[in-house]
Amino acid sequence: MGIRFQEVSFHYPQNQLTYYQAIANITLDIESKNEFICLVGRTGSGKSTLAQHMNALLLPTSGTLEIFGTKITAKRDKKTNYNSLRKHVGLVFQFPEYQLFEETVEKDIMFGPLNFHTGIDEAKEIARETLKLVGLDESYLNRNPFNLSGGEKKRVAIAGILAFDPDILVLDEPTSGLDPRGKTQMMELFKEIQDKTGKSIIIITHDMDLVYEHASRVVVLYDGELIYDESPKALFKREGLEKYHLQYPSPIRVLKDLKERFDLDLDIYQRNLSDAVTALKRAVK
Amino acid sequence: MRNIVIGQYLPGSGFFYKMDPRTKIMGVIIMMVAIFLLETIVQLAIALAIGIVLMILGRLSIIRIARGMRPLFVLLIFTFFFQILFNREGELYLQESMTVSLSSIGGIILLTIIWRLLARFKRFRFFLLLAYLVGIFFAFSLLTYGYTFTTFTFSIYERGVEMSVFVVIRLLVIITLSTILTLTTKPTDLTQGLESLLRPLKIIGIRSEDFALIISISLRYIPTILDEANKIMAAQASRGADFQQGKLKDKIRQIISLLVPMFIIAFKRSEDLADAMETRNFVPGMKRTRIHELAFNMTDAFASLFILCSLAASIVLRVL
Amino acid sequence: MSYIEIKDLSFSYTKKRQILKNIGINIEKGEWIAILGHNGSGKSTLAKTIVGLLEPGAGSITVDGIKLDQDTLQSVRRKIGIVFQNPDNQFVGVTVRDDIAFGMENLCVPKAEMLERIEYFATKVGMEKFLDKEPASLSGGQKQRVAIAGILAMQTEIMIFDEATSMLDPYARGDLMEHIKKLHNEGLTIIMITHEIEEALLADRLVIMKDGAIFADGPKEELLKKPDLFQGSALELPFSLRLANQLTGAGFEEVRGYLWESAFRK
Ligand SMILES: Nc1ncnc2c1ncn2[C@@H]1O[C@H](COP(=O)(O)OP(=O)(O)OP(=O)(O)O)[C@@H](O)[C@H]1O
Ligand SMILES: Nc1ncnc2c1ncn2[C@@H]1O[C@H](COP(=O)(O)OP(=O)(O)OP(=O)(O)O)[C@@H](O)[C@H]1O
Ligand SMILES: [Mg+2]
Ligand SMILES: [Mg+2]
Repeated sequence: MGIRFQEVSFHYPQNQLTYYQAIANITLDIESKNEFICLVGRTGSGKSTLAQHMNALLLPTSGTLEIFGTKITAKRDKKTNYNSLRKHVGLVFQFPEYQLFEETVEKDIMFGPLNFHTGIDEAKEIARETLKLVGLDESYLNRNPFNLSGGEKKRVAIAGILAFDPDILVLDEPTSGLDPRGKTQMMELFKEIQDKTGKSIIIITHDMDLVYEHASRVVVLYDGELIYDESPKALFKREGLEKYHLQYPSPIRVLKDLKERFDLDLDIYQRNLSDAVTALKRAVK
Repeated sequence: MRNIVIGQYLPGSGFFYKMDPRTKIMGVIIMMVAIFLLETIVQLAIALAIGIVLMILGRLSIIRIARGMRPLFVLLIFTFFFQILFNREGELYLQESMTVSLSSIGGIILLTIIWRLLARFKRFRFFLLLAYLVGIFFAFSLLTYGYTFTTFTFSIYERGVEMSVFVVIRLLVIITLSTILTLTTKPTDLTQGLESLLRPLKIIGIRSEDFALIISISLRYIPTILDEANKIMAAQASRGADFQQGKLKDKIRQIISLLVPMFIIAFKRSEDLADAMETRNFVPGMKRTRIHELAFNMTDAFASLFILCSLAASIVLRVL
Repeated sequence: MSYIEIKDLSFSYTKKRQILKNIGINIEKGEWIAILGHNGSGKSTLAKTIVGLLEPGAGSITVDGIKLDQDTLQSVRRKIGIVFQNPDNQFVGVTVRDDIAFGMENLCVPKAEMLERIEYFATKVGMEKFLDKEPASLSGGQKQRVAIAGILAMQTEIMIFDEATSMLDPYARGDLMEHIKKLHNEGLTIIMITHEIEEALLADRLVIMKDGAIFADGPKEELLKKPDLFQGSALELPFSLRLANQLTGAGFEEVRGYLWESAFRK
């Protein structure tokens, strides 16, 4: 179950006769429970394209894609119930502007729950609660989502997906545009959701610190191809990731620098600040 | 929605793209005049064939254009039947007296149900529609039992058939022509071309720049609005409101829930666009340089020659 | 008189809530400032008032001695280029090439030079292969790059970047920052709104906004020494400084010193 890509390729129509291949031969298995995957890769490497396959917004040009047991084919199939797939997989778009469309924040967050047959009062309650989760207070409920700041829009967009409680969450750059505190809180929220409900979470990001600290699995795309699919630990132990325009996480970079500068006996592979402090204290002593 | 090509520009190469917009605009106008001068189906068919050859030479994807024009086919079909039913000239081909009776209405309801049941065999869709229409015809003409509401006469005349084919091909040629123009000319070039062509109007006090700006902004907006519609549809679909699914009633509800935000968003977008243009120093009517200067080249010369020849040919055909 | 003077600026979208509260900032010619602040603190609103898209309720903005009002709007705008937070709102042209050209066309740059600059800046942001694509069919990061190229090509004296690199990968961002540093050395005045502390540290001076007011304003070396300042405004110090701050006690002086030094190494 979950989402299963087998040699999936996709191309966008480009001009009259040519096509632009955005992802090529992707084979990837995502479990429906307890995955924390980060999808990384440089600008234009096909991350968003891949993400939009996960809830069948884009249909693969070739290859097979299976979402919760339903086969997704290149042509829309009358028999497939796409709506029920989207109840399983919730996708937050890269640009919140692509996702918000109702006149008020409340209506926008309620849109998903109402479509999935939640009663109106319950949906209202859900809207209130999820808005709080993403760090906005009730005064935002009646605001027009287009008159919010960039980061506020992003939060509402995330709330709109959390509200209908999908089994798998796919988030396209959920932390871009958030202030640092918001970023930390958002990541904590995702972790908490996972701990409580065991949902699988897939996050697209350029922030390797976040990847290193939270992910249990990293998938690396480069020019539309999947080049690595392993634990962050294994990935960042590799040399020469620069080749794929990937940066090492700050703890590794900073500790490596210190290690060389002071000739320390130091394990540089620390996943967060407190581990780094402990390791450093031990090494210096 | 994604495939609609009316009024859209699609980047590409091929000689249509290399032509001066002025040549293309004038060309389309002259060609339309030429098309209206043609009098027989054979002449029109030849014109259509030439058009298709040109599109192939110009490396345009006919399939994609045809697919994009699909919404207009409704218009074509409507025109077709309108002509057949209401043109009463020439030799009489067919005359039937039709009865609207309880039995004929019942028959039609039955036919409709059968038709909808079979509609899932997509491959025969067109054939089924045809069979359905023929069925309706026979139901009205043969089923005369039961209470009769009214009767009327259905007749097809020679000219009706001729005209319907003729008008449909003519419309097709005209739509194709204008599609080629908008498909291969950037809105900015189109504006610039219009502006340049309308310049003589200055004499009677009309500022061609203003006129062209209005046109270009409208043109700029067609793809933007389509884009917005696509985005909202994707957003709604990914939250459980897939447009292309569900019963007719759901679909209608969803179209409404699409239209309202579409207008609001399009409006908001137009403000943002105006802001972006202003902050990048755009002031309507001010002098600006152009990255694409209009230039008449060899392709244009050949094209003009071709266009004038076509016009001459159709005048000759008309006069003869 | 400073090059850019913002005095007692107030602004509100609706009567109910005041968004900008008595903002005062002076920016010298050739200075590079970074504006930080929590979501909704008013950074984008401030940027929009500086380019005259929003009319302040009170206070004034003066750029290079010209006071911004309806009559001087155009001449002030000619000095300022702004990259908006959402690149989609910025695209005017149907192709990347046309879009980069748009600003230059309005500034009456001759065609030959325009073509040269398009080539140059598209390459600078790594979009030279996409010149004939439609901006709408680019990836998020690619859109941001095109938006940036369109402004760089105008070669204005002041540039405002409103979270213009939030979706770029670190390498693309690094390359771009190299170029901006070069422009800065040639005298460009830069106002950079960002949530990325690493990016902010390239600036000379930090302005921190909180709830529509200026919360702190000063040279970065000074502000970074006050962690509560960052704590109090939803911000976070860069990793190396957070590490340094945790290494209290004897024996770590050298490491701490080195971490501080490296945080400012450009
Ligand atoms: N609608 C579209 N039409 C044509 N090409 C597209 C379209 N959307 C994306 N592309 C192209 O497909 C490639 C992959 O795009 P995608 O959006 O998946 O990248 P990404 O990895 O998400 O990048 P980013 O980090 O910048 O968001 C890009 O080169 C882009 O130009
Ligand atoms: N058009 C508008 N109408 C009404 N209120 C608005 C409008 N635009 C923004 N606001 C409000 O003004 C405040 C400041 O918004 P602004 O966009 O300046 O924030 P920001 O500092 O840029 O935040 P971010 O980091 O999220 O981009 C926000 O609380 C926002 O909700
Ligand atoms: Mg993306
Ligand atoms: Mg902002």
